[in-house]
Amino acid sequence: MLQQIQQQIKRLKARGATYVDTRWYPYEKTDALTMWNGNLKNAASASESGAGIRVLYKGAWGFSAASDLADLAGLYDQAFDNAAAAAERVSFPVRLAEKDALQAQFASPCQVNPFDVPLAEKVAFLKEMDARLNQEGVFQRISDATFVRKQIIFVDSEGSEIEKTITEVFFTLQVAGLDEQGEMHERKFRLGRRGESRGWESIDREYLSEQAERIVREMNQVRTAPQCPKEERSVILLPGIMYLQTHETIGHALELDRILGYELAYAGGSFVTLEDFGRLRYGSPRLTARADATLPNSPGSFGYDDDGVPAQDNLLIDKGLLVGAITGRQMVEEANSKARRAIFKGSGGANRATAFYRVPIERMTNINIDAGQDGSLDDIIRNTEKGLMVDGDRSWSIGSNREQFHFGTEIGWLVDEGRVTGVVKNSTYKGDTLKFWNSLSAVGDSSTWEVRFIENCGKGQPNQIMQLGHGVPVCRFDHVTIGE
Amino acid sequence: MNERILTTLRALRQSALEKGADATFLIHEENSYLMRFANSAISLNTNEHLVRLEITAYDGKKRASYGMITDLNQLNAMREGLDTAIAMVAHAMPLDYQPTVPVYTETFIDESGYDLALAQLSNAEKLAYFNAAVAHLETDDIRLSGIFSCGANIMAMIGTRSEHLQYFASTDAQVSIVLAHATLKWEVTAEQSAWRKEDLNPAALHRDLALLLDHYHHDTPQQIPLGAYDVVFGPAAIAEMVSFMGWIGFNGGLMKRGFSFLSEEQIGQKIFSDQITLQDDPGRLETYPFKRDFLGLPRRSFSLFEKGIFQAFTWYQDDADEFGAPASGHTVPHTSLSLAGGRQEVATLAELLALPREKDLLYIPFLHYMNIVNPSKALVTGTSRFGALLLKADGSVVVPYNVRLTQSLLEIFGEKVAWASRQTLPYNTSQSYGARNPTAVVVPAFLLVRDLEISHSNSSY
Ligand SMILES: [Zn+2]
Repeated sequence: MLQQIQQQIKRLKARGATYVDTRWYPYEKTDALTMWNGNLKNAASASESGAGIRVLYKGAWGFSAASDLADLAGLYDQAFDNAAAAAERVSFPVRLAEKDALQAQFASPCQVNPFDVPLAEKVAFLKEMDARLNQEGVFQRISDATFVRKQIIFVDSEGSEIEKTITEVFFTLQVAGLDEQGEMHERKFRLGRRGESRGWESIDREYLSEQAERIVREMNQVRTAPQCPKEERSVILLPGIMYLQTHETIGHALELDRILGYELAYAGGSFVTLEDFGRLRYGSPRLTARADATLPNSPGSFGYDDDGVPAQDNLLIDKGLLVGAITGRQMVEEANSKARRAIFKGSGGANRATAFYRVPIERMTNINIDAGQDGSLDDIIRNTEKGLMVDGDRSWSIGSNREQFHFGTEIGWLVDEGRVTGVVKNSTYKGDTLKFWNSLSAVGDSSTWEVRFIENCGKGQPNQIMQLGHGVPVCRFDHVTIGE
Repeated sequence: MNERILTTLRALRQSALEKGADATFLIHEENSYLMRFANSAISLNTNEHLVRLEITAYDGKKRASYGMITDLNQLNAMREGLDTAIAMVAHAMPLDYQPTVPVYTETFIDESGYDLALAQLSNAEKLAYFNAAVAHLETDDIRLSGIFSCGANIMAMIGTRSEHLQYFASTDAQVSIVLAHATLKWEVTAEQSAWRKEDLNPAALHRDLALLLDHYHHDTPQQIPLGAYDVVFGPAAIAEMVSFMGWIGFNGGLMKRGFSFLSEEQIGQKIFSDQITLQDDPGRLETYPFKRDFLGLPRRSFSLFEKGIFQAFTWYQDDADEFGAPASGHTVPHTSLSLAGGRQEVATLAELLALPREKDLLYIPFLHYMNIVNPSKALVTGTSRFGALLLKADGSVVVPYNVRLTQSLLEIFGEKVAWASRQTLPYNTSQSYGARNPTAVVVPAFLLVRDLEISHSNSSY
């Protein structure tokens, strides 16, 4: 197969293509199990295989993909023809940043292949978790596990040949209960990074049982809590919401394709412009953010991106100053050219596709906030006069240029004069992105820093979902509107 | 009709019978084409041909499924998939209710929503459509983005319990065009949904885009004050909110799980304005309808709200089985929601602008990134996007920066509704996640709701 792929790539190069690559997925396997109120609602396995062909011709992209590889030449020709059609309307001919031709392999850390674990054992585990959640006050309980293993072989016309084997485990516990007025409240736990590998071994029953107990306890506290006040307070974001704040208002805002206007038809743009790099005060000096695809053991670490560029650790925001973006080969060339200065020194290695039948686009890797100097969570609470501490994403809605946002959280704790004084329900907060990050007044130390996973970040047309990570500390922001 | 799909399904059924298995098979074949525009160029031109097979095996109260992306030449691999599903169901856990296994009592083939001309639309024709829709509207600063998404979809199914099949074929197109200012960052849009080629009409999009550009190009955008406004929603915003009702409103399973603002006691009660009549109407070809559900039940027009009075919940079969509810024919990838037109004669943006008005009207065509803040209260939040306008009482028009609306659907569709357009149109709500599933909601062109609070007003784009 590999030989046939090489032949086809050569053939299209001879037809005039400037660049051709292929992502061949010999297999992608998924096991998804959902237990809802004790019922195994979903026991689904899936497998897929196929190839996606990307062709650059006269400055325009064409793409074609199929699960049926019987007519490989036809598939390559279709991709070429699509590029030729796209070449009818080119405004900035696509150029790709330099990279090395690599012969390489990558495997995500995995000790026990989850696909070697019998279904019965997985079901028994979910049943155990379901029993943990089945407590007083719990109206709905869900345990959900997804296991993925895929092999991707990347070959391009520049001489790269990269083989990747990726294993993922995602696990979520969720409970919901009704308050006296019949309003529903929910609390979730999503498994993030634990230890150095994420095969079946990341299913740590003792730890997960503790988390099950905690979310039930907290959900029951919310059910009987008073309404979140509508006023201005400091907000203390625990990692269970801080990851999403980072995702939505740093991560998406700094995708270079968004900044360049490539997502205006759907996901939106960014308030950030090319002039802002090296100049914009994105946040207070306490804020340092990075795109770190070298962080061990996270879905945002993948060895090599789908341009064949090695994973990197790149600064995005340095002590409050905007310095970098989430980038791939095409966009850095266009950005540097349009800005008439070399903002980016080559691809940041963040071009990824969700499946063989989708084209790679700039995606977050691990978008992390560095731990700070403001002590533990207890220290931050102690130093907060009038605050609302929040955790758990319930709703999130962000302006199309990521310029403002509204978040609903699962739980809120009022903090007054350095002490937690009680739980509130329906806690929400909102803000303007730049004003918010510039009001960052405390960043927790490494004891507060956790890596959370995102299983389903959506972007692009046709739409793609992507898996990634966020390493974040506890953070406090001042003068925030809550309760709306 | 794709005979190979039918023969493959029959062969798989035969294999299952030979193995003594109780199973259903669904083949989904999609031919998807998407031409994407950005920065006035074609940024991506793609097509995917994918064949999916979904096998569900049953054993008493146990159920398990195996899905694969494959191709029709791979009958042996499909049979191995069947073996996997059979092995899985042996280790699954029994449900505490009896799942209904589909029994198709007759073969049902529906190709009424399939248009060969649309299925065969060429790259050149798509580009010509775009060029016509934006003719003379692009400049160095005003750049084109958008998509021309079209495709052909086949879903066919069979089960071991009868020899009959169901087969649905449809074609669909979703066009959205965005013109955005490269430095000022405002953006306007026009969209179209079609199931057949003859419905494609670039001139209509050109007309709306030209009108919006006229205002956006010449007027200085303003941050509008917070407070209550009379809001006119456009088709995109209306369709989005109606779709949310299908999620946190009349979905029986989610209601039973506490994730709804409606309860069983509210059937027969007045929930919304008497100007709100909503149906699931598979008779509307513009909604890419399923005229049978996947259990084989005929789907007919199904009343959800009649003059604001709540009529019935919809039930997915698995929820109906779990909660002992009657099957309602809603085990389908998408329903065919249709919100009835009202009394106001206003079909186009130009007509809306020309309408006499006593108060300022805030026109919100599109709600970006809507999410549910509190399902029990139908509280949702989202931000205006794509060409909002403040139509001043004095006849002038102001271009506003985007605003956030955090409101309950009970308010928006409640007594504050002033009028809905008599004219309706299909708005394409397709998500291109995963398998192709073209979806559209029929909505009035405009809906005026009085006195809605704006909670956040941007100071720039
Ligand atoms: Zn995302």
